[in-house]
Amino acid sequence: MKRPHWLTIAAAGTLLTAMVTALMVPPERVQGDLARVLFVHVPSAWLAYLSFGVTLLGSAMYLIKQDLKWDRLAGASAEVGVFFTGLTLALGMIWGKPTWGVWWTWDARLVLTAVMFFVYLGYLALRRGIDDPVDRAKRSAWLGILGVVQIPLVHFSVLWWRTLHQPPTLLRPDGMQMDAPFRGALFMALFAFTMVYAALVRAHIANAKDEVRLAELIASEEVEVAGAAITAPTLGEVD
Amino acid sequence: MTGFWRQAMAITRKDLRTEVRSGEVLFITVPFGAAALMLIPLAVGVDAPLLQKIGPGMYWSIVLLFGVLVTVRQSATDGPSQRDLLSLLGIDPAARFAGRAMASIALLFTFEAVLAPVALALYGTDPAGWWWLLAVVPLVAIGLGLLGTLASTIASSISSATLVPLIVVPLAVPMLLAATQITEGLRIDATILGWILLLVIMDLLLAVAGVISARPLQEATR
Repeated sequence: MKRPHWLTIAAAGTLLTAMVTALMVPPERVQGDLARVLFVHVPSAWLAYLSFGVTLLGSAMYLIKQDLKWDRLAGASAEVGVFFTGLTLALGMIWGKPTWGVWWTWDARLVLTAVMFFVYLGYLALRRGIDDPVDRAKRSAWLGILGVVQIPLVHFSVLWWRTLHQPPTLLRPDGMQMDAPFRGALFMALFAFTMVYAALVRAHIANAKDEVRLAELIASEEVEVAGAAITAPTLGEVD
Repeated sequence: MTGFWRQAMAITRKDLRTEVRSGEVLFITVPFGAAALMLIPLAVGVDAPLLQKIGPGMYWSIVLLFGVLVTVRQSATDGPSQRDLLSLLGIDPAARFAGRAMASIALLFTFEAVLAPVALALYGTDPAGWWWLLAVVPLVAIGLGLLGTLASTIASSISSATLVPLIVVPLAVPMLLAATQITEGLRIDATILGWILLLVIMDLLLAVAGVISARPLQEATR
């Protein structure tokens, strides 16, 4: 069996530590234990931004350098980003039901996050639909660049529109409005989730490389195909 | 007229001639959109004040969703052999993008113009500040036409045409928001210049992205 990569072990360790820290923080004064959802919701939202930002970087670098490693980075990051955007939406709904009384509300932040989710689902569908790696890289790079307009829209939606969703808690001009233990646990969770992101992207890139290697092997006919040992009888042998 | 614009206009004429012959937008998509506008009141209930309120939003939603059908129709007619022929003729990929986008914009503008009186009649919406809409309707047609053409170019190596709507609709949400906010702003006499600016910026960015990406995307297809 293949040994796990050091990044995977480090990510698992920091995630475990972050979750234990999140459980040890005293309950929030108003929301009680429900506020602990934020230790997963906020890092997931951060990873959605980070992932799609890295997809933008990978896409732009591919167009400049024409090196497929940048395309693999963009694709892997988008896949992880779509997962964490979905997780952000799901956890937001779980938090919203007891807090706002509804699973879903037509709030600018929520709607635009869902829109961002669909933009990158389209990006992944495009990648899945093209077999040729160079063609796929070129086309998805342009979509990866176009799609990034959603990130500022989502982040600043709470400032541009009157929304039910709270304004930014960490990235605000007048400083963070959060007690020290809560802030510490949140930063720990942010670090742990970033490690998980790095481990997942690394694993996705390794898978993509393996797929390319397998395709090359099959193309060069160096691998034995199932049933290759059986040959059709010739007329001479039958006689 | 420069070579670029002569080529672009030739592509536009070709696409519009195909449309005149098939009548796909005018005789299929427009009635389909009008039928959709008619179905909504039946689904939400025939409540006149409610319909007056939701009318503009429904109109713009139908324009966005059915407008995608207008923009993807070119990917169905423009197959690999047509693309190869245009390349062999030495047509500049950017001129091809511009020509196709202009044809889509013209068809979308027609689609919006025909559907607007239908929406006004069905929903009884007060056409307050309609002269502003003379600017908004073309801006939305330009944005949607450019976005649809760009998405069709990006997805041109995929045989399925169903991917283009999935790319276009989420990216067109800012346009839908701007169009509905402008209509609402005109109704309540609020400022709308910010939203018009958003539409103008989106149109410019899409035009630049379309022209810049045209050549590398065509090379990817070869």
